[in-house]
Amino acid sequence: MPKITIDEKDYEVADGLMILQAIDDLGLLMSGVDIPHYCWHPKLPIDGSCRMCQIEIEGVPKLQIACNTPVKDGMVISTQSERVQTARQGVLELLLLNHPLDCPICDQAGECKLQDYSFDFGMPAGRTKEPRRVAKKAVDLGPTITFDQERCILCRRCVRFCREVPGTGELGVFNRGERSLMELFPGTQLDNDYSMNVADLCPVGALTTKDFRFKIRSWFLDDVETVCDRCSTGCNVYASRSNNKIYRFVPRLNDDVNDTWMCDHGRLSYKMGRENRLESALVGGKPASFIEGLRKASDLVRAASESGGTIVASASPFSSNEDLFTLRKLLETLGAPPATFSVPAGKADGILTQAEKAPNAEGARALGFQESDELAGAKLGIVFGHVLPATALTQVEKWILIDTHASDLSGKAAVVLPSRVVTEKDGSFTNHAKRVQRFRRVVEPSWEAWSEGALLQQIADFAGLDGWSEPWDAFAVSKRLCDEVPAFSGCGLTELGFCGCELSK
Amino acid sequence: MQPATRKKIEALFERYPEKRGALIPALYLVQAENGYVDAPAARDVAELFEIKPVDVWEVLTFYNMFYTRPQGRHHVNVCTNLSCSLRGGRGLMRAIEAHLGVHAGETTKDGRITLGHEECLGSCGTAPVMQVDGRYCEELDEVEAKRIIDELD
Repeated sequence: MPKITIDEKDYEVADGLMILQAIDDLGLLMSGVDIPHYCWHPKLPIDGSCRMCQIEIEGVPKLQIACNTPVKDGMVISTQSERVQTARQGVLELLLLNHPLDCPICDQAGECKLQDYSFDFGMPAGRTKEPRRVAKKAVDLGPTITFDQERCILCRRCVRFCREVPGTGELGVFNRGERSLMELFPGTQLDNDYSMNVADLCPVGALTTKDFRFKIRSWFLDDVETVCDRCSTGCNVYASRSNNKIYRFVPRLNDDVNDTWMCDHGRLSYKMGRENRLESALVGGKPASFIEGLRKASDLVRAASESGGTIVASASPFSSNEDLFTLRKLLETLGAPPATFSVPAGKADGILTQAEKAPNAEGARALGFQESDELAGAKLGIVFGHVLPATALTQVEKWILIDTHASDLSGKAAVVLPSRVVTEKDGSFTNHAKRVQRFRRVVEPSWEAWSEGALLQQIADFAGLDGWSEPWDAFAVSKRLCDEVPAFSGCGLTELGFCGCELSK
Repeated sequence: MQPATRKKIEALFERYPEKRGALIPALYLVQAENGYVDAPAARDVAELFEIKPVDVWEVLTFYNMFYTRPQGRHHVNVCTNLSCSLRGGRGLMRAIEAHLGVHAGETTKDGRITLGHEECLGSCGTAPVMQVDGRYCEELDEVEAKRIIDELD
């Protein structure tokens, strides 16, 4: 393993890496070793086009770019020498030649590397006298992205992304020299399932998503770590919130799950937490207070239990491990058989999206629930969500529905209780690769709604079942889950780090 | 793309270790067919080379000997780089523009001449220089340049 010296400190790095990659792998990039960069991205092929990452290497006469210079044993690198600083200032001045200085109206303000580096290395005033290059403003690249050609610094991150990740290659840099412009192939649109990632990649304000553009300034947002629930990949995301409202999902780096990408469908799913929600309990199809709904549900459970009638349950693969574990415990208390569950199916795309369009089918399997579209005949059914077809419920005399969104099922259930979506509660999902990942509460619903587990605990408590009087808490349940189900050992909410961990074999 | 052109391109593949190496000669062949290579033609080439159309378009637009739009019957390109400019290249360009009634990059209404501006024709010793259909016309003055242009069919 080569030993190198960076700014008078010695490091040992892996073989075969470029300098910038090695520094990033050491966890030092921009947090100890200050090498500014635009075109380099850890998940994309090297381009070397922005020339911002220049460094000085002892014994090498010219400055070198850190992104495309291989590490060699004994290398002595300086990232802060006067020559390097002057070069950075020069490169930045060149990059700003044609870039409009319209930060106050630019939607990338606050998340723009050009802004950050100008502050660090920029010239105090512009020296250009010539008119700036005229390029197109607010170009419609397709259904999701708007492009400001004037702001583009031709780092080609978006171009490389479209070629390498979705493999669609809609974008290119056309013409030569100062006439170069990033554009679409004539007559095409940027319309792939991963198109919105280019806005995250763009280090300046050239590419912005139509969805987020001009909605809010980035400094009013705070980012909460959570997980996308649109398929069993469970892409790691940040939910950006302000004033109890989510404004966007942006992918969060996790090498074991989604690298640093996510699909457009998942990205826009933050809106689903707002639309068509169940905002009150229903008893016999009519709106009722939350407490009435709970009492009616507990009456049904007690009656079914006391009469010796069978109780069956259908779990949802959209529920958390903790909620599903609570259901398992309740069924055990009632002497009912384990729950079944049904998973909505779609197509896998070979990139990130899986065929199972739910985040926690593996969690349900790990908890011993059987996959089935049928529900056995019973006096009472407890149904999570509206994944199960209505025809599956014909053999059940009465059923309690615990759901987030209004559906065909809501009017037919004896009792409906509103529950929380993934962004409104704490918990964990187990993805298709058996990785348990934590999600956090981002916002609070403005009406009474609890997580499925909390609702079950309250129903059981009201029904007078033994051992259910303690208030439901996702962390406490998670601890019990880890203690009682060996597969989940070490996967408690307090132990799951930033990137989750795999179920025990 | 004509079948004959396709065959010629396929024959080119054998000359290069990678198919893609034949892209520029192939584009010359396609351009010879219509005088320019537009987006549908670029798609055909991309299919033949098994690459993305955008890759073909990047090459096409990078080199100024390729045209993506219909061109005049003749190409007149005037160099305006330093040596030519010092010896009247820019004045020559303005005079030709006035003579033809078009700006650099445009084609005369009768479709006879496309006037171009070259960054450097690499002939500083004989500046100012103009290239007419690939032929160099050197040490020009306005009268001589106009005469050459007027003699074109």
